[in-house]
Amino acid sequence: MTTNNKISLTEEQLVLALKAQDTNAMKALYDMYSASLFGVISRIVVHTEVAEDILQETFLKIWNSAGTYDVSKGRLFTWMMNIARNLAIDKLRSKDFKNASKNQDIENNVDFVDAQKETTFNADVIGLKDMVTALKPEFTNVLDMVYFKGYTHVEAAEELDLPLGTVKTRIRMAIMELRKHFN
Amino acid sequence: MEEGKAYIESGILELYVLGELTTQEQREVEAMAAKYPEIKKEISAIELAMENYALENAITPSAELERIILEKITPKGKETPVAPTTALLASQQSGVLPIHQAGYESKIRTLKFALAACAALLLITGIALYSAHTELDTAKNQIIALNQDKQRFATTVNYLEGTNKELQTIADMPADPDWKIVRLAGTEMDPEAKMTVYWHTSGRHVMLDNTKMGLPKNDDAHQYQLWALVKGKPVDLGVFDVNADSSHILLKMKEIAGADAFAVTLEKRGGSAAPTMDQMIAKGGV
Repeated sequence: MTTNNKISLTEEQLVLALKAQDTNAMKALYDMYSASLFGVISRIVVHTEVAEDILQETFLKIWNSAGTYDVSKGRLFTWMMNIARNLAIDKLRSKDFKNASKNQDIENNVDFVDAQKETTFNADVIGLKDMVTALKPEFTNVLDMVYFKGYTHVEAAEELDLPLGTVKTRIRMAIMELRKHFN
Repeated sequence: MEEGKAYIESGILELYVLGELTTQEQREVEAMAAKYPEIKKEISAIELAMENYALENAITPSAELERIILEKITPKGKETPVAPTTALLASQQSGVLPIHQAGYESKIRTLKFALAACAALLLITGIALYSAHTELDTAKNQIIALNQDKQRFATTVNYLEGTNKELQTIADMPADPDWKIVRLAGTEMDPEAKMTVYWHTSGRHVMLDNTKMGLPKNDDAHQYQLWALVKGKPVDLGVFDVNADSSHILLKMKEIAGADAFAVTLEKRGGSAAPTMDQMIAKGGV
């Protein structure tokens, strides 16, 4: 096995190989996306071991559900990321995980999570990169709550005491800014 | 076109990409995307932005994870997974192999060894404690026995010292002219009776010699009483018992300065104020 060589394929090739249950596709998938997915999972579930278990679960689910992925509905990464986020959020809200986290409410988990980061990870690694953007932090914050911290946009609205419409707007503004930033 | 633009600006596409919509809403977005190419394009742009955002904030998982995941992957239908070991069964049922399996196993092995070592240590300690306890018991018993011996010796020594002193007193008597040795002889009551009284005329000591006691044993209701006859009058010098196990050779009696004779009567226990003359068992003049 060529474990040291990173495999990179186009998304089309990858999807075809994946649907054909080619194990090389999984290797490529892992090389290309594991860190991105792990970044998302790790910020929702901060415990490294739990996060790695979820990443593993995510890849198994990707492998086993490859047949259900519909190219016309969106990018492969979006599909994978939503699998990872859902598994991570399910874990975060599961009874045993809550107990293990000393019964932290999901609302309070953000602070708990933030506090945990300092000890669990190098702060440089775990902290979200500051975006070079003209946008005020409250706009990016809403997106980060949903994307990286496991809130639903409804919960984010409640937490920030904002109308749902405002939350949607801020998420859109933040993503618009990201699009500019990456172009 | 206007409908599409308004739809894009509503922010629903972002929520769609973030997986925030219900199945019903998702279908609606997908239908709109199929209908309006600019919506589809917008969705792709949002997706790409989120993908890049995730990439920018990527965290590399531990190196062993890739191997574990790839080992778990088997093409569907091509091969059946080998029968899982019991230890892995629970985790495999949920489709996840614990990443730190190897670490746990070695930890468990270490703990097993530690447990065995602890048990062995406990056993050894128990045996040592039991043995020490037994030895301690033996030692205690020996100490008790030695103490008893010591007390017996001390008693004997005390007794010997006492008798030795008394014997010394007797031995010194011939050298001191003040010591009078008065031998009392039996009367009609008991012609066999006899005893010896030592009397120190200047020191006024009166002592009876137990070794030369020739009186019959008295019972519990009676005691012998020693009298001094001073100018014909009896003076009480105290009572005494005659028995075999007396620990003293000399019996100290009441003091008297002058006496013509000594006599012994058998009286009721504790003695009498005046001698019962028909109970006089021995007498002797100085």
